[in-house]
Amino acid sequence: MLVEPELIERARAADGQAFNQIVLAYRKRILGTISRLIGRPEDVEDVAQEVFVRLYYSLDQLRTPEVFEPWLYRLTVNAAYDYLRRRKRRAESRMSDLSEQQVLMADSAAGVKQEESDREKSRLRDFMDSLFRHVSEEDRILLVLKEVEGLSLRELEQIYHVKENALKVRLFRARQRVLKAYQAASEAGSL
Amino acid sequence: MDQDRLDSLFERYRAACPEVEPGPNFMPDLWQKIDARQSFWSVFDRFGVKLTTASAAICLLLLALNLFFAPGTLNLAPTYMDALMAEHSAERTAYTEAIRRAPADMPAVAAPAR
Repeated sequence: MLVEPELIERARAADGQAFNQIVLAYRKRILGTISRLIGRPEDVEDVAQEVFVRLYYSLDQLRTPEVFEPWLYRLTVNAAYDYLRRRKRRAESRMSDLSEQQVLMADSAAGVKQEESDREKSRLRDFMDSLFRHVSEEDRILLVLKEVEGLSLRELEQIYHVKENALKVRLFRARQRVLKAYQAASEAGSL
Repeated sequence: MDQDRLDSLFERYRAACPEVEPGPNFMPDLWQKIDARQSFWSVFDRFGVKLTTASAAICLLLLALNLFFAPGTLNLAPTYMDALMAEHSAERTAYTEAIRRAPADMPAVAAPAR
């Protein structure tokens, strides 16, 4: 853990200073995780702040400081999930008349002034975003936590409160769907 | 083979996601959001507390009224049922039946002297 259990106890007792210290200790890690979960750097800070707001109001429900990190990850996953669902609804209402290719072109046109490597990274994020659309938001998050964040099945078990075997099955299916979409995109020459 | 390619794609994706540094206003904005939510909920909280207090007061008042003015202690105008009951019992008390007494029970009356 990045902070002492006593600090968490103090934050639970509504100590603002202790809560500030917790945020300072974890914010960079949470920002990084959210960045990989949602793939949109411009919205990362907003989602991270939402995570800490939820943390502030749910600290009193935390049973023991030992489960603080899985608890924080759970809040992060929920906030990312809410963001992805909102974004999907917005995208459906705004871009329902545009094809996938047009959306990608619009995105790349917006990044004309970016450096070449930045554009390449942005294109890769967009490509991954298009692959992740073949799975649900829940599966996207699970897949990113396992394959990109590198969390172990045991850690995922603590976050999701689901048996390891059930997680394995779900991960396998999600991975197969993404792989199939990847193969189709490769054949079509999208990347 | 495809699985390896997918693993490598995930790795490239991880590298493509930038390390986001918190902006200078991260903490002030966070506390602003916490305060905003707190004031939003505190309106409902205050309303809820007032409503609960008022309900409790009304309950206590009704309970007190019930205890101090229980039926019988209050001299209220009789209801229609009360009037009927009173009428009925008056009829019953007015009804009397003649009692025939057995001859043996009759007191001995002295015969007039001839």
